[in-house]
Amino acid sequence: MHITYASFPYLSAILLSCVVGLLAIMLIPEERKALIRWVSAIFSGITLVLSACLFLAYDKSLGGLQFAEKASWVPSLGISYFNAADGFNLPLLLLTGIVFFTGVLTMWELEMRVKEFFAHYFLLVTAVFGLFMSMDLFFIFVWYDVSLFPMYLLIAVWGHTRKEYGAMKLTLYLLSGSALILPAIIYLFAKSGLHTFDILSLMQPGIFTAEQQKFAFLLLYLGFGILAGVWPFHTWSPVGHVAAPTGVSMVHAGVLMKVGAFGILRVAIFLCPEGWQYYAQLMALLAAIGIIYGALVGLRQTDLKYVIGYSSVSHMGVVGLGLATVTAQGLNGAVFQMFTHGVMTALLFSSVGYIYDRTHTKMIPELGGLSRIMPVASTYFIVAALAGMGVPGLANFWGELMVFIAAFKVYPVRGIVAVLALLVTALFMLRVVQRAFYGPGNERYAQLPDVTFCEGIPRMILVAVLVLFGLYPSLLLDVIQSASIPFMNGLPR
Amino acid sequence: MIAFFKDPVLLAAALATSLPFLSMATILIFTRHNQRLSASISIGAVTTSLLCALYLLVTLHSAGAPVQYEFPWLLADQLLIPFGYLLDPLSLLMLTIVAAVSFLVQVYSVGYMSGDPGYSRYYAFQSLFAWAMMSMVISPSMIQLFIFWELVGLASYLLIGFYYEKWSASQAGKKAFVMTRLGDIGFFLGLIILLLGFGNLSILKMNEAAQAHAISPHLLTLSALLIFGGVMGKSAQFPLLTWLPDAMEGPTPVSALLHSATMVAAGVYMFSRIFPFYSGSPEAMTMALAIGTITMLLSSTMAMATYDLKQVWAYSTVSQLGFMVMALAAGGYFAGVFHLTTHAGFKALLFLCSGIFIHEYHTNDFREIGRQGGRNLVIPMICMTIGALALSGIFPFSGFFSKEAVLGVLAMQPNRIWLLAGLLGALMTAYYSFRLIFFMLFPKGGIEAHGGRNGASPGHGGHEEEHHGAIFWCMAVPVMILAAITVVLGFSQSPLEHFLVGKAATGAHTLAVEGGGSHAATEGHSPVHYMVLISAVSMAVGGIAWAWLEFGRKKATQEGFLRWLPKIEQLFARRWYLDDFLRKFLDTAIYSGVTSLFTRNDRRIIDGGIDGICQFTVASGRLFSFLQSGMLQYNLLVMIGAVALVVLYFLM
Repeated sequence: MHITYASFPYLSAILLSCVVGLLAIMLIPEERKALIRWVSAIFSGITLVLSACLFLAYDKSLGGLQFAEKASWVPSLGISYFNAADGFNLPLLLLTGIVFFTGVLTMWELEMRVKEFFAHYFLLVTAVFGLFMSMDLFFIFVWYDVSLFPMYLLIAVWGHTRKEYGAMKLTLYLLSGSALILPAIIYLFAKSGLHTFDILSLMQPGIFTAEQQKFAFLLLYLGFGILAGVWPFHTWSPVGHVAAPTGVSMVHAGVLMKVGAFGILRVAIFLCPEGWQYYAQLMALLAAIGIIYGALVGLRQTDLKYVIGYSSVSHMGVVGLGLATVTAQGLNGAVFQMFTHGVMTALLFSSVGYIYDRTHTKMIPELGGLSRIMPVASTYFIVAALAGMGVPGLANFWGELMVFIAAFKVYPVRGIVAVLALLVTALFMLRVVQRAFYGPGNERYAQLPDVTFCEGIPRMILVAVLVLFGLYPSLLLDVIQSASIPFMNGLPR
Repeated sequence: MIAFFKDPVLLAAALATSLPFLSMATILIFTRHNQRLSASISIGAVTTSLLCALYLLVTLHSAGAPVQYEFPWLLADQLLIPFGYLLDPLSLLMLTIVAAVSFLVQVYSVGYMSGDPGYSRYYAFQSLFAWAMMSMVISPSMIQLFIFWELVGLASYLLIGFYYEKWSASQAGKKAFVMTRLGDIGFFLGLIILLLGFGNLSILKMNEAAQAHAISPHLLTLSALLIFGGVMGKSAQFPLLTWLPDAMEGPTPVSALLHSATMVAAGVYMFSRIFPFYSGSPEAMTMALAIGTITMLLSSTMAMATYDLKQVWAYSTVSQLGFMVMALAAGGYFAGVFHLTTHAGFKALLFLCSGIFIHEYHTNDFREIGRQGGRNLVIPMICMTIGALALSGIFPFSGFFSKEAVLGVLAMQPNRIWLLAGLLGALMTAYYSFRLIFFMLFPKGGIEAHGGRNGASPGHGGHEEEHHGAIFWCMAVPVMILAAITVVLGFSQSPLEHFLVGKAATGAHTLAVEGGGSHAATEGHSPVHYMVLISAVSMAVGGIAWAWLEFGRKKATQEGFLRWLPKIEQLFARRWYLDDFLRKFLDTAIYSGVTSLFTRNDRRIIDGGIDGICQFTVASGRLFSFLQSGMLQYNLLVMIGAVALVVLYFLM
């Protein structure tokens, strides 16, 4: 694979700005809440700008790994600090930057333990950034586990609705995922005989036998699949989404679930392509079930956040289906869907968060008529719901389109099932919109204010991203393709 | 960029389609709070679109071949999704219709919607609709058509549910979206199959390939049938037809725009767009013919049993769409498109007239409107009668010509049953249209005093001035324009036919069936043709006479023959129980069936299992913790016991 080393260390700069932000927050006295907010916003803003620059600076015609930075860390074990960006992780780095910044802005009104909240939040996001950009197995594993710890506290301390249960459940699930990933990584490390954790070296064809690949792939798929909300290991995600505070739900559903899918791609598929081909049938089956199952269960929920949680299960199923097709088209669609779903869910949670903060309920029957009371806040939610339904003009349409076309070619029946889920998704999204936002205005909330311009900024950014990539998908797709097509061509047939 | 300005045709096409989008964005983002400005932006945009469309129509009127522009929009692996414009007679005609109707409706809405709190939002949605519909009409590929097709669905969802505070309105919007999406899933699957099997979704290429038998017949039939699902959804064909009458919950101009002239016509338009493709598959055509016929008959019967002004026209829309599908499916390309054109005019006319009545009397019940003196509004009443005459197919109104063409095509079918069905439909159409007209013209028991009307509509005390005020004329002028078009349009049949078919632009439209069909209707002088002409006219006149007997004449009971058949009236009024069936299916199979099963599975089995494992871990930990009690005596006891066991073992 082609590697270009960085002239300016963008990737380290992203990590650095997160870490510096974290340290700065730690140094500020707890009482100075406004200052903490501004510092958080500035550093997350810098991160967003850096990730956007990175995205735009990437040379699509050249492809391969760019902005690489490599430094040996533990030579005796072959661990190195190796970061690089390619078409697969660039969209996700951009996504993380967007969700990070908008999440900080969404949590602007937090009053309880502001300092600790943002410190943990920065730690979580640092870990996610590190994972996305790392090309070293050891670092990927470490970053994965680093992200779990702040996640638990963020939910257990700042959450609501059975928060301890949700936090514990989520942590146990994800830890069991990491318990599957670790042995697989060690197994691959030992079997390769190369004495390195470097993914680039390990992904060369001929290093692992087919049997080894199948074994390791299954472990890695299940381990990362838990995080990606693969059916039937999905139940942590709605519960966790519901329990988490708004900004954390955004990162959680918007980015953390993508970590799982990205792990499947970067680790399992990169290192064990034969295992991938072998288990593709199973992956497609679980994904198709997840798509229709998540949509149908979502139809019955009465809690706004549960609805979004189950829609995530359904949409992440689309990602899984794309990955399962073993085609460049499917990979394109899957990565595209990861990005757009992240933005869309962040928008959903962000708008629900606003509503919840005002009405103190997220039960659909208790809401109703919000469009009359807070038209702008409702519009944000409705736009996100439309994106979730796959309405063209918003970015999510393209991801689904590509995945369905690719899937239909390989798995016609599962493809039909997945396409039918579009109908159910439309039904449950519209049902929620109708019950929570339409209808006569609810007297109880009549005095509540609408979103002001400043409060609306994070949601405006998210809507703008959805519309931008909805109208101009090539901007994102060309980057993804610079990785997916060479990768598929490089696979042994 | 420069290419845009060098080529006026391209510039006009781009302007026509993109200006409404810009106007929507501007209204939503900037001018939400300024109603007047929002309306001006929207109307300005649609006016420009209309001018561009007319310019294109004139410029390309005699262009021999279709003009096509394509730019790559998305290139994903081998899948190329282009964005572009296909300008051929069909798309130019439809573009003009859409732009014209949108324009008239938006002007009309200035009056109708005045004072509504959602005025700006209304115009934003109108612009969204205009953008989606026009971009759909001039799509060069089926994928682009599908994308904008979905956006049209979105726009209609928003417009139908415009009065979102009303439960029924939001319900109707949801129903429309979900039901059309059900059809769209078929459409989408059909496109994917075709893409995978044939590899190209360009409309011109598809049509050529189907004509040249370059697509395998199985693939062709399967994809044609699936794509027809989209037509069934969007054009409200059986069994997906019940969303359309419900969609009358939207503001009346919206009904005129979406559910008569343009949006529902999208399905028929798509059918005629890939007509040569369809004609490659006789099986798909036969099915379409059957579905069109069933739709036409069912909805005509439904229209005979309702007293809601807009619903009558809604049902008649469904039945006229059925007519168009029948014509196309029977091979009459021109007849179908011609009926689409004339129908767009007179149905928009009917709805806009109804809007004036509804605006005036605040009721949808036409008996009530008649009783309150509906006929005093002379201009709308005359215009409405013109529309109804056209709908029934009376000379010299436009509907007469197009309906003759349709029936002429049906007469060419070897099986007479289609023609008979068509004639029966024509009879019922005339009957229910004039049932309504007579109710309004000759209300039983005379017209009530004026005072009652004013009392019924508080806030509209200043009626008399309003009649001649700007608001009234805003609504009346578009109506009169449409009425004029309805009177004239029929005579343009042969130039239109020459324009559409004569060029044979989109492949060889002039099939054997086609040639026979439409020519017989216009210039052929075979005995069959006269027979059809005479029977059709007598059906229309008969229907009107029948309505006259029951509702019009002085001694009429105004009860209708359905009164004596309560069971059947019930059947018609309940829409043949289609809705009940659907509701029941949703409730039992989906809500309390699958979803509740899955939810319980989630809670009990998956979560229960996981929680069980956790509890097992906790419990076993508790059990083993007894070993670590820290009590010396227990430890000693265990130790001695263990030693004793070991000793015992060695002794044995």
